[in-house]
Amino acid sequence: MTVDILSSIKGAQSSDAVGKLFEVIKNANKTNNSFNKNHNKAVFLDDLREDIVINSPQIEKQIIIENFPKEKNGYLVVSKVIEE
Amino acid sequence: MESQIHKIHQQLISKEISCTQLVQERLGLLKLNTHNTVNSLLDTLAIELAAKVDSKIENGEEIGLLEGIPFGIKDVFMVKGTYTTASSDLLKKYKSPYTATAIQKILDAGAIPLVKENCDSFGHGSSSENTIFGSVKNAINPKLVSGGSSGGSAVNVAKDYTVFSVGGDTGGSVRQPAGYNKIYGLKPTYGRISRFGLMAYASSTDCVGPIAKSIEDIRIVLNVMSGKDVKDQTTYKSEKISKENILKCDEVKTIGYFKNFIENDAIDTQVKSEFLASIEKIKAKGIAIKELDFFESDTLVSTYYTLAMAETASNLSRLDGTNYGNRIEGGSLKDTYSVTRSGNFSEETKRRIVGGNQVLSQGFSDDIYLKGLNIRDQISNNFEKDFKEVDIILSPVTPNSPPQIGDSLKDPLAMYLSDAYTVGFSLGQLPTITVPQGTETGLQITAAKNNDELVLKFANFLKDTI
Repeated sequence: MTVDILSSIKGAQSSDAVGKLFEVIKNANKTNNSFNKNHNKAVFLDDLREDIVINSPQIEKQIIIENFPKEKNGYLVVSKVIEE
Repeated sequence: MESQIHKIHQQLISKEISCTQLVQERLGLLKLNTHNTVNSLLDTLAIELAAKVDSKIENGEEIGLLEGIPFGIKDVFMVKGTYTTASSDLLKKYKSPYTATAIQKILDAGAIPLVKENCDSFGHGSSSENTIFGSVKNAINPKLVSGGSSGGSAVNVAKDYTVFSVGGDTGGSVRQPAGYNKIYGLKPTYGRISRFGLMAYASSTDCVGPIAKSIEDIRIVLNVMSGKDVKDQTTYKSEKISKENILKCDEVKTIGYFKNFIENDAIDTQVKSEFLASIEKIKAKGIAIKELDFFESDTLVSTYYTLAMAETASNLSRLDGTNYGNRIEGGSLKDTYSVTRSGNFSEETKRRIVGGNQVLSQGFSDDIYLKGLNIRDQISNNFEKDFKEVDIILSPVTPNSPPQIGDSLKDPLAMYLSDAYTVGFSLGQLPTITVPQGTETGLQITAAKNNDELVLKFANFLKDTI
C-alpha cells in the first residue's frame, strides 16, 4: 500500500529527511535480549476506573454538537459511504 | 529571580494591587504583543474570575497561594468551552467539551487562565514556526525563533505576560524553548502529571510541564498538577515537594556528563566552552565529575523520531473531519478523509504521519520500528546503570544557539538534529529541568526516574554556584 493511502493524505510522499533518520536505525546495533524487560505496563484491577456510564453534562453535549462539521436537526451528518 | 507567585500573592493580600487590575494589565500586554504568542485570549473568563478574587479579599477571606495568579496554557490543552486549535487549520474552530486534568487542578487552586498559547501544530516542531498563527518570535531577539513546540508559552513567561505557563514536552518542547528564552522549564518524570486532556502527540513520552521564571514557581505549579488520575492510567501517586527540602543539596556527591555530547563537531564552540567552565565551577565545590558514555546523537534523534512518528500517526488517525474539525467534502468517504487531512495538516505534520505509517507497515516495522523499541530499551538500561554511579546528569540543552526565523522550515533534518540533547531524557522518561545558566541556551539537570525533587535541589544549588 502506498504512503498516501496508508496515511489518508492525498498526494502524501515519503520525505528524504525522515528517510535519513530511518537509515540510522537500520544500521544501528541491536541487542539480543528482547525488548520486553521494562514493558509490563499492566494496571492492577483495583486501579481501573469503575465500569459505569457517566452522563455528560448538558454543556458538554452542546459543545460536541457545536463541533460537528455538518449538523442536521441536532444530528451529525456523515459523508456518504460508497461500498468498494 | 525571586518567586513571582509569592510576590504577587503578597501584593494581592496587602491590597497593593487588585486582581482585576493585574489581569487587565497582563491581558493588555498580551493583546499588544508582536511576538505571535497568542492563539486566543480568555479575557471574559479571566476578568470574571479576577473579580471573584477581589471580592474575597475585600470580604477579608483568606486566598490560596495560586489564587488570582495569571497563567497561560499551550493551545494543546482542553479547557472547557475554549477554542483548542493545536495551532492547526483542522481544529481552528474546535471547542473543548471538557478540561484537562492538569489545567483543572490549577483552576481549582484559583489561578486565572489568560491565554491559549501559540505552538508548533500538534507539537510537531522545535521552533514554533509550524503554526497557522504566525512564527513565534524569541523574547530576547525577535529575529530568532522562540524554540518549540511550547514557544508561545516560553515567550509569554519571559516577557512577563504570564506568571507561569503550562507546556507540553514530548522530546524537549518545554526544555528547549525555556533555554532559548532564558527561563526555567521542567519535564517531570513521565506519569507524574496526568495527560488527560492534552492532545496526544507521542503518548509514551508526552509530559505536561511548568514554565516559569523561578525554581520556586516551578515547584509550586508542579505540586498542584501532580498526582494519580484514573483518566490516565500511566500516572502514579507522588509526594509533594516542600520548599525547605530543595534549599539544601548535600546528597549530590557525583555528577556525570555525556562525553560524546561535548566532544563532537556538531556542538558550537562557545556552548562547549561554557559547559566545561560550568563543570569546573561545580567541581570546585567538591562534587566529583564523571564522564559517561552514551549513544551517538544521530542514534538518539533517529530512535526518538521513529517512535514519535509511529505514535503520532496512530494518535492523529482520529482526525479525519468526521465528528469534528474542518471537514472538506470529497467524492466518497475515503476521499473526504484524505482531502480533509491533506488540506488541513501542516507540511511537518504530514511528514511525521507519513513517516510513522511507513515504519509501522509490513516490511519496515522489523527493521525500523521494532529496532527503535530495542534501542530505547538499551537507552533506558544505560540510564539505570549511570544513575548507580552518579546522582545527576548535566547536559547542555541544545548544541547551538537559536536559529533565525525561517531556517528550520528550510531544513527539517537540521531541526530534528537540534533535539539531540533533549530526546534521550524523554525516551528514558526521566525528570529534567532547563535552567537559564551555564550556556547561552541553558543547562539541563536530570535525575533518576521519580526523583524530581533532586532535580529542583540541584537547580537551586546551581543558581548559587554558576
